Amino acid sequence: MARNVAIVGIGQTNYTTLRNDVTYPELVFEAVTKALSDASMSIDEIEAVVFSLAPTSLVGVDAMERWCIDAVGAKGKPFMRVNTGGATGGSAAQAGYFHIASAFFDTVLVVGAEKQGDTPDTQLILNQIWDPRFERAVALNAINMSSFQAVRHMHKYGTTEQQMAMVSVRDHKNALNNPHAHIRQAVSLEDVLASRVVCWPLKLLDCCPRSSGACAVIMASEGRTRKLMQRPAWIKGIGATTNTYYMGDKMETEMFNDHGDWDELALAAEHAYRMAGISNPAKQIDVAEIYGPFSCLEIAAVEALGFCPKGQGGKFEEQGFFNMTGELPVNPSGGALCSNPIAVTGLVRVAEAALQVTGRAEGRQVNGAKTAVATAIGGSLQFHTAMVISANL
Amino acid sequence: MDRRVAIVGIGQTRYETGKTESLDEIAFEAASKALADAGITRDEVDNVVIAASDQLDGRPISSMTLACPAGGYLKDEVKASDDGTLAVVLACLRLLSGVFHTSLVVSWCKCSEVPTAKVTNLSFDPFFHRDLGLNHINALSFQVNSYLSRYPISEWVPAKIVVKNRANAMGNPYAHLVEEVSLEEVVQSPIVCPPLRQLHLPLECDGACALVLTTRERVRLTTQKPVWISGLGWAMDSYYLGERDLHQLSSVAKAARQAYQRAGIKKPIDEIDVAEINELSAYHEIMAYEALDFCTPGEGYKLVEEGSTELTGKIPVNPSGGALAASPLFAAGLVRIAEAALQVRGDAGERQVTGVRTALAASCYGICAQGSSVFILSQES
Repeated sequence: MARNVAIVGIGQTNYTTLRNDVTYPELVFEAVTKALSDASMSIDEIEAVVFSLAPTSLVGVDAMERWCIDAVGAKGKPFMRVNTGGATGGSAAQAGYFHIASAFFDTVLVVGAEKQGDTPDTQLILNQIWDPRFERAVALNAINMSSFQAVRHMHKYGTTEQQMAMVSVRDHKNALNNPHAHIRQAVSLEDVLASRVVCWPLKLLDCCPRSSGACAVIMASEGRTRKLMQRPAWIKGIGATTNTYYMGDKMETEMFNDHGDWDELALAAEHAYRMAGISNPAKQIDVAEIYGPFSCLEIAAVEALGFCPKGQGGKFEEQGFFNMTGELPVNPSGGALCSNPIAVTGLVRVAEAALQVTGRAEGRQVNGAKTAVATAIGGSLQFHTAMVISANL
Repeated sequence: MDRRVAIVGIGQTRYETGKTESLDEIAFEAASKALADAGITRDEVDNVVIAASDQLDGRPISSMTLACPAGGYLKDEVKASDDGTLAVVLACLRLLSGVFHTSLVVSWCKCSEVPTAKVTNLSFDPFFHRDLGLNHINALSFQVNSYLSRYPISEWVPAKIVVKNRANAMGNPYAHLVEEVSLEEVVQSPIVCPPLRQLHLPLECDGACALVLTTRERVRLTTQKPVWISGLGWAMDSYYLGERDLHQLSSVAKAARQAYQRAGIKKPIDEIDVAEINELSAYHEIMAYEALDFCTPGEGYKLVEEGSTELTGKIPVNPSGGALAASPLFAAGLVRIAEAALQVRGDAGERQVTGVRTALAASCYGICAQGSSVFILSQES
């Protein structure tokens, strides 16, 4: 089987709308420097680099990973970029995992940055992701696409706007403890429900901000890890699923064709759980970092991850199951609802999960967390990744 | 490399300009052909790795529409960027980890719908270089001039490369340009950017290429003769042209060194029977001979003058015609792997080199070959 792989270094910048003080490579460099310092390593000890970068249209430089070669110390080294839209960070982390699990390398740097503050309108660009022939003209974007998902979930399972608002309240409360979070402001249920409707049923406070920032994760083989540190975070399982792209294909009730359910994430998680030996995720997982840029998406995710029965995500949220003091805390970092640097949001989930299982999450630490799951989602809610990370090998 | 990966399926579309099929259909054609070639169905594939460029595909996250036609529906699918060959790299890493057993790898490009020079101009940084009007073609002339200032070879040498590759393409049913050219035609063809002439450069076209890769344990489940990936390497050079030693293909040399080491190759010119190189220009094929250690730096022209890289030479290069005969830009490197694998399998038809046991495939990508991947393929595992 695969060689054991650990996360041995993490670097995050703070997430914010604008980073006009730095160029894109300089932003990347900030996270690289922090991760190397965290791992007590020098750049020369990094053998290969995986770059996490979603659409470059958000910054306006084609193939701008190549601009960053020197910022990530990759001159003369194996280097590749992964791009699966929003899921990019999750996919890049998995690509990094394979670099080491394959026995090709002992150390790999997985790094990327988002600088969407450079673009005047993210959603205008995200309309361009739809194919030019059929669905682009419908004026789809990430927000209304997610609102369809919310409406379907409400219709099918009776999920309410209040329950979705509770997700937002929880994430915002958690983000107060995360020094890197973009939005650090407590909101009440009333605040969320009274905020401006962006695309019904999603209101402003059900939606993520557009964030800029960088994240870097250093991974190492077991042998190298043992020499580096006492408390690594081990990658125990990985999984990913791609589904069809067309919105119209998701208007059925069969498995994988119902826009309200995330059967694809369930499939990805099943693979990751099987590798990690997890049979009862609700019991065996201590904390989850979920890529949910809209409140409704977290509800679909907790169901797909097996934390509660299908259709019960809203009810479990209502009962405080996913709060910091609940049975299975979700997004102690504040999640994507409070920071969404698209190119690395999935990688931030991995980084935060690793911090949790190694007891290094400071103010946002979940007591005694040993096993975590991190997810990412991309495209038309079609690309899903899941990674199980644990303190125990 | 202990655990080996084999290429067991190869699929190519015809390379041509102005394909009327959509990108989805082109990707589907190559993927389907690769599966059929391997004698397996999509059910037996447990992961799909694609490689494509959003900008060249004309939309952000192009894998949204293209992942499924490429075979990714309800599979563990991931998209690499930068070059088609990096999908093969990532697939190898996935298989060698033991987590997966059979990968479908697909890459494509439809240059006829893209102003490629405008796209590559956007890859230059917005502060210093973009306004100079640089793109992937005119930047090559800097590189070639840098080479020529150090090694002033006659212009008949690159012309011979063009004549060779175009003649080789006559035996390739997938090639875009199937018309021989003469030395005189090359040296008299219009200047694009000095010293590069029209016939020195690939004519970008449309097409897709796909491979099926599997592990040693699974090879027997396919009907195809396996071609083993016995070595691979990939590397990047610095971004700013001014910081690079442009007269040499450093990334190719770095990638080759890794690949040779993994494959246990000490003297490439003696151990490699045939090579497929993604030549960015005729001059770049000569520069690649040197970077790949077929000869010492500055001596590439001798291999050309001796005819060593012709079909009947010591180490035939680009029996398919190379990129000069068919260049689906982003996928052109993957085509080199497919063609090298066909050579090892003995299935290269009229372009077959006799007695091939070990082949090399090299890709160059980015501005002035900032990046490169090199693969060694062999008959024995």
